[in-house]
Amino acid sequence: MDPHRENGAHGPVSKKARRSSSITFEEIQEEFSHHERNVARINNGSFGSCPGSVLAAQREWQMLFLSQPDDFYFNRLQPALLESRSVIKSIINAADVDEVSLVDNATTAAAIVLQKVSWAFSEGTFSRGDAVLMLHYAYGAVKKSIQAYVSRAGGHVIEVPLPFPVSSDAEIIDEFKKALSLGKAGGRKVRLAVIDHITSMPSVVIPVKELTRICREEGVDQVFVDAAHAIGNVKIDVQDIGADFYTSNLHKWFFCPPSVAFLYCRKSQVSDDMHHPVVSHEYGNGLAIESGWIGTRDYSAQLVVPEVIRFINRFEGGIEGIRCRNHKKVIEMGKMLALSWGTRLGSPPEMCSSMVMVGLPGCLKVYNDKDALRLRKYLREFHNVEVPIYCCKQLTDGEVERISSSVITGYARISYQVYNVVEDYERLKKAIDDIITGEFHARLLPVTD
Amino acid sequence: MITDVEILNEFAHHEPGVARINNGSFGSCPASIIAAQKQWQLLVLRQPDEFYFNHLQPGLLSSRRVVQALINASDVDEVSLVDNATTAAAIVLQKVSWAFSEGVYSRGDAVIMLHYAYSAVKKSIQAYVSRAGGHVIEVPLPFPVSSNHEIIDEFRKALSLGKSEGRRVRLAVIDHITSMPSVVIPVKELTKICREEGVDQVFVDAAHAIGNVDVDVQDIGADFYTSNLHKWYFCPPSVAFLHCRKSPVSDDMHHPVVSSEYGKGLALESAWIGARDYSSQLVVPQVIDFIKRFNGGIEGIQRRNHKKVVETGKMLAESWGTCLGSPPEMSSSMVMVGLPCCLRIFSDEDALKLRRHLRDNHRIEVPIYCKAPRDVELGREWSNLVTGYARISHQVYNVADDYYRFRDVINRLVDDGFHCGMLS
Repeated sequence: MDPHRENGAHGPVSKKARRSSSITFEEIQEEFSHHERNVARINNGSFGSCPGSVLAAQREWQMLFLSQPDDFYFNRLQPALLESRSVIKSIINAADVDEVSLVDNATTAAAIVLQKVSWAFSEGTFSRGDAVLMLHYAYGAVKKSIQAYVSRAGGHVIEVPLPFPVSSDAEIIDEFKKALSLGKAGGRKVRLAVIDHITSMPSVVIPVKELTRICREEGVDQVFVDAAHAIGNVKIDVQDIGADFYTSNLHKWFFCPPSVAFLYCRKSQVSDDMHHPVVSHEYGNGLAIESGWIGTRDYSAQLVVPEVIRFINRFEGGIEGIRCRNHKKVIEMGKMLALSWGTRLGSPPEMCSSMVMVGLPGCLKVYNDKDALRLRKYLREFHNVEVPIYCCKQLTDGEVERISSSVITGYARISYQVYNVVEDYERLKKAIDDIITGEFHARLLPVTD
Repeated sequence: MITDVEILNEFAHHEPGVARINNGSFGSCPASIIAAQKQWQLLVLRQPDEFYFNHLQPGLLSSRRVVQALINASDVDEVSLVDNATTAAAIVLQKVSWAFSEGVYSRGDAVIMLHYAYSAVKKSIQAYVSRAGGHVIEVPLPFPVSSNHEIIDEFRKALSLGKSEGRRVRLAVIDHITSMPSVVIPVKELTKICREEGVDQVFVDAAHAIGNVDVDVQDIGADFYTSNLHKWYFCPPSVAFLHCRKSPVSDDMHHPVVSSEYGKGLALESAWIGARDYSSQLVVPQVIDFIKRFNGGIEGIQRRNHKKVVETGKMLAESWGTCLGSPPEMSSSMVMVGLPCCLRIFSDEDALKLRRHLRDNHRIEVPIYCKAPRDVELGREWSNLVTGYARISHQVYNVADDYYRFRDVINRLVDDGFHCGMLS
């Protein structure tokens, strides 16, 4: 028994008594009372959210460090990190806790995987022109990371075009098979496939298990699933999905404070040569241990995972219950909005998570990314509605003149998390209706670029 | 001016009853800055989108401007904020790694570092330089040391040796203040020697420097300079700056965590490396306000800390019949004090065990260093050899009693016939 656990097996102990019934609506509002009032916060997908009781636990860890940092470093930090990693291992069904590393975010996880690819090119394990495959809707930061580590090192990048709006997994699978075939033409080796579990913009749930299987069949060396949005949002079973690397942010849908993510690396010869780019004392001791000390910093967000489990267990059905209700509600809200505006959803419910893409009326004239940002800013500043806007058709000036106002070019990515209420979405509806009634559109809105 | 009572209150969160004489390892942060940090954190949690779009970048730029002024950098573009010096080292060394991989450097070109370089940095050099085909030169340094000359001589010798047979030295990694044992290194002089001897670039690892000794990056003249603001500059964990003097090379520096700002310059890349807590990087302007409450500002704090730690070091050395590891002018707000030989500190393990013993049994927090005795000396006269040193720190919250306790505990251990061999 670890003598340093006298303060409670999980460090600072929640002072609330054990509950026999589920958390109430009022208690949920109290947990998120630090959210700015009057803001219809329907963008949990971007920056996530963290309940008050988890924030309090985090502060306790922070004060523990500040009060006696040497004692914290020598006696408390590593056991607490191991505890968090063990919890995650169970949730994602990893075979071994050594396979689970904690990092800041999925962006860092991507750098770790891609830096390994970079070394393979530099050291001649991969040959110039060998390929890395990614989805067209891969996250912007990941695309840049692929440029920085793969293209720069001599790798060839294959992009899989994806349809949007999309109506079935088959459409995605077909495009993927086509792109992979094309990429392999001329005997090119595909060393790594980077596949999103849930794309960011536009947000769609990708059939990762199927695509991973196709990769294996087609001789792709390794598969990296960028699942930044997944944990707490869709079910995750890493053994079932079968990828080599899998990462997800815990601060998006898993109630952790910013920021903490896990990177799962399936045990294999290659996974022994994964390194955190910030090299410190633990270099060479395995990625999980390396990531457990990357110099003096605030590790508190990585230590509250057990507290988060306590929070989640206050909800009926735990995390599965939360996921199912969020999904059901976001679809309901999405359909309500689409019906009201005479538009549509960007993908069918079974391809949505706790987020859904809702078509915006064409008369809003969202014709490029700038328009989308402008509309988002306007909604924030004039209507206190926070929702990201996506433009699915970047139009040239000529196309702008010819396009009919019935064509849907813009989508709102609405999220539903436990703190959301129906009024949040009705406010979005009203805001859009007001813009249309006032005969405004994205380019006429009174915000500076 | 801040009073003694106010200082005590600012650090009231430090564990009571602990003689905390190790500011050097993990630093310290006053309560008013912790509160300021909390305000920033709450701002993010309240409305993170608004924070991201409207507050984060202006806030980081303010911090960078403060640092620019502090270190006399000529341009704010030269100043990037990162988590810690360990991250800064990874940035500089990754660039060296690419240079080898891309053929800009040839296999066998060298990187030179001090023997007392921080172990994390040594590993980083292994991970990025050795692995990429670079040759590593280590400069042996004397300790105890009595003058800058000793260090400069060894450096010149090692550089000469390293360059023999026409080897190119691509980078010198020089500590401004070594960690263990802690000594102030004559970085300006060593940088000048590097320029004279054709070393391509100089990276000063000054993790301990800011708030501890004067820092003027233009005067020192290195290409890269990093220091942790959470050690001696009252910031919360963690925040550091990396200064990159403008040059064609500095345009190709990248943060290893690549995000949307890739290619826009290191300062901007570092300002967004994905969603995370940037609050410790945002409180720097507020730290300036805290420091202004002290007589003489940061220079006043530096001077008083240095004076006190040297005074205290001498008091301890006298009481124990030992010596200081370096003269006052080569010490900062930290000093190495020899421990009585009879404690028999003969290995790194002994040093660690003694440190733990002092923490667990006497509530004294102080790092112990072992200068491993050479076997021949060990056989002969170990009873007169100082092999162990305590690295004592002095920061504004320390009081004389912290050191008297330490003095008395060691004396008691000596009287009791205690030695490290008794520790498990």
